[in-house]
Amino acid sequence: MDFDDSPDEAAYRARVRELLERHASELVRLRPGQEAVDPRTSEAELRRTQRVLADAGLVGVAWPAEFGGQGGTLMQQAIVSQELARAGVPALINHIGIGMCGPTVIAHGSQDQRERYLTRLLRADDVWCQLFSEPASGSDLAALRTTAVRDGDDWVVNGQKVWTTLAHVADLGILLTRTDPDRPKHAGLTMFVVDMHAPGVTVRPLRQMGGQSDFNEVFFDDVRIPDSERLGEPGEGWRVALTTLMNERVAIGGAGGTIGLPVEAFVQHARERLPGLDPERQVLARQAVGRAVVAALGARYSGYRRLTALSQGGLPGPEASAGKLAGTEAARLVADAGVRLLGDDAVYAATGEGDDRWQRTQSWIPGIAIAGGTDQVLRNIIGERVLGLPPEPRSDKTVPFSGGRR
Amino acid sequence: MNFDLDDDQRDIAAGARDFFRGSASPAAARAGLEGGRPEPGRAALSDIGFLGITVPESAGGAGRTLLDLAVVAEQGGAVLAAPSLVTPARAAVLLAGEPELAAGLADGSTSFAVLDGSPDGSAPSVDAADATTFLALDGEDLVVGAGEVVPGRPLDATRGLASVRLTSRRVLATGAGELWARARQVGAVVMAAEDLGGADRCVQLGVAYAQEREAFGRRIGSYQAVKHLLVDAWVGVEQLRSLVWWAAWAADANPGELPLAAAAAKACAAAVYEQAAGTLVQVHGGIGFTWEHDAHLFWRRAKVDRLLLGDEAEHLDAVARLAVAGALGT
Repeated sequence: MDFDDSPDEAAYRARVRELLERHASELVRLRPGQEAVDPRTSEAELRRTQRVLADAGLVGVAWPAEFGGQGGTLMQQAIVSQELARAGVPALINHIGIGMCGPTVIAHGSQDQRERYLTRLLRADDVWCQLFSEPASGSDLAALRTTAVRDGDDWVVNGQKVWTTLAHVADLGILLTRTDPDRPKHAGLTMFVVDMHAPGVTVRPLRQMGGQSDFNEVFFDDVRIPDSERLGEPGEGWRVALTTLMNERVAIGGAGGTIGLPVEAFVQHARERLPGLDPERQVLARQAVGRAVVAALGARYSGYRRLTALSQGGLPGPEASAGKLAGTEAARLVADAGVRLLGDDAVYAATGEGDDRWQRTQSWIPGIAIAGGTDQVLRNIIGERVLGLPPEPRSDKTVPFSGGRR
Repeated sequence: MNFDLDDDQRDIAAGARDFFRGSASPAAARAGLEGGRPEPGRAALSDIGFLGITVPESAGGAGRTLLDLAVVAEQGGAVLAAPSLVTPARAAVLLAGEPELAAGLADGSTSFAVLDGSPDGSAPSVDAADATTFLALDGEDLVVGAGEVVPGRPLDATRGLASVRLTSRRVLATGAGELWARARQVGAVVMAAEDLGGADRCVQLGVAYAQEREAFGRRIGSYQAVKHLLVDAWVGVEQLRSLVWWAAWAADANPGELPLAAAAAKACAAAVYEQAAGTLVQVHGGIGFTWEHDAHLFWRRAKVDRLLLGDEAEHLDAVARLAVAGALGT
């Protein structure tokens, strides 16, 4: 057990820092107190930032070299992520592509698809999105209704996706469709790569409860997709989607990353605000601060354990769902304590000086508890796949999708 | 970075599991409430060397790390073993400058307890009930002596709680406040490790029952209302395991982190064990509320441990104060 860098890791970290300094002027940076840069207003700068980083060998660190990656370790990837955060570089614009779509193409794509897509993905030449959820199928993803019908060498897609992060800037997406409604719901699905600029694709922004517009609804009206853009076999879409979903849970807090505000930033806030509270309030506020810090550290160190296991050759398994669950709870406690530390201004969730960071942080939490597997779905996954508890009865699992509910 | 036990520690854990499963049990904890003796008892623990794990080799101990001790303590906690390894861990820190006394700790020839509160009438202290030699903080002096022991009526007989009034005292060290605080932090880590073992066992027992018991025509573990209770307890256990390992590692490898890590682990342990033990009772329904079932023995341990060596509120306050003072390196 050792939380310090090994000599190899220390040398790698030094090299990463040197590269980030060398390219500093070409990278977008967060201002103090800023957590994210909006692709709606800064798309070109964010694409350029990722391209510079990719060309410096700092994107796709743990991807195999044959797919445009660096062939490095997951520990090296974690080091790069830490150093990017330290340097104030915002999340990469193609984080959905890197975290979910790319690994899915690697696992299930043809050699031709891998060659055409992966290097461009890492350089943000193409930004990707993930077209899974629909208005009538969120948690019950396999009940989706967007159809793809074979027509010569093409498939013709009709339907609607929703909650699609980055669809408004994306060039490509992975698209889960129903190709055989006469089979049970999991067995009639097929995955494609779709060109987001193709005729018939319409992207409309959705406004979230916090006021921002990070995601979209996407409509498909007779969109033609060549059969060569299929990912995996017809009817195998569920298996392909599971690759995506498993990578998603590792990407969201599964392996040492932080969901929400880093505990260090929260502690800095507490340091500034605690002395301004009444002495009696300070006692109560310290309880809330301590509880949030304990939860955040528990989630962080549990992530380090999963990162260690993954870097020693383990596969991302259902345990990663615990990381997202615990990370979400920690983020909730951090956001709530952060607001309470504002004293009388807590009702505005903003400081008198106009810093509304805590309003954004607080209003983001309900979304984290839903995105990428709701807290309840994750509990089912852990209960059934980790603890071995009996599954929920699922009355629609074996009947034809069309006969079951349409 | 490498955050996992090494092969040696996994072997230690496996050996400890075999030993404790063969020498202690919830049944013994139940018997303790009716006048029975603690199992495995001090003699068996000293025979297998568990009283001297962190005592230096020069004083007859194994000279190993607190993390090694913590993986053993976890296994003891899983079967509600007594006495606690909190006492030898804490005493080993206090007796670092006293090789003869430390040798008596390691070989079991001296029955130590460490007293919380005033030596003129201590707070109920772990495993003081059958101890003969007491370590206490008298002002800023570390003292050792004999004492008059007043046991209480135990909620959990395995903790051997008793109040003690020292009847003799010899000063081992002056200006010992910091040493005392560090020993208490080490004790908190070991208690959190024992609680980890107990909470983990509660989840295992609850899961096993939910896999078998049927109600309304199907196994109760298939109902989300039951499943999610067990999952939340398991997620808590996993967070606790991370904090216990980190805190135990820090004690030797990065002592500056110990105060915050120990407080975080102990606060987490208090909440997680209560949740897990409460879940164990609830999942068993009426059966879990009976004297014959083991659930209440874990529940008793959880209800007592959450208050020993500082309750959750005290440790949350410490975490907040230390973090704000810069203990996370910010």
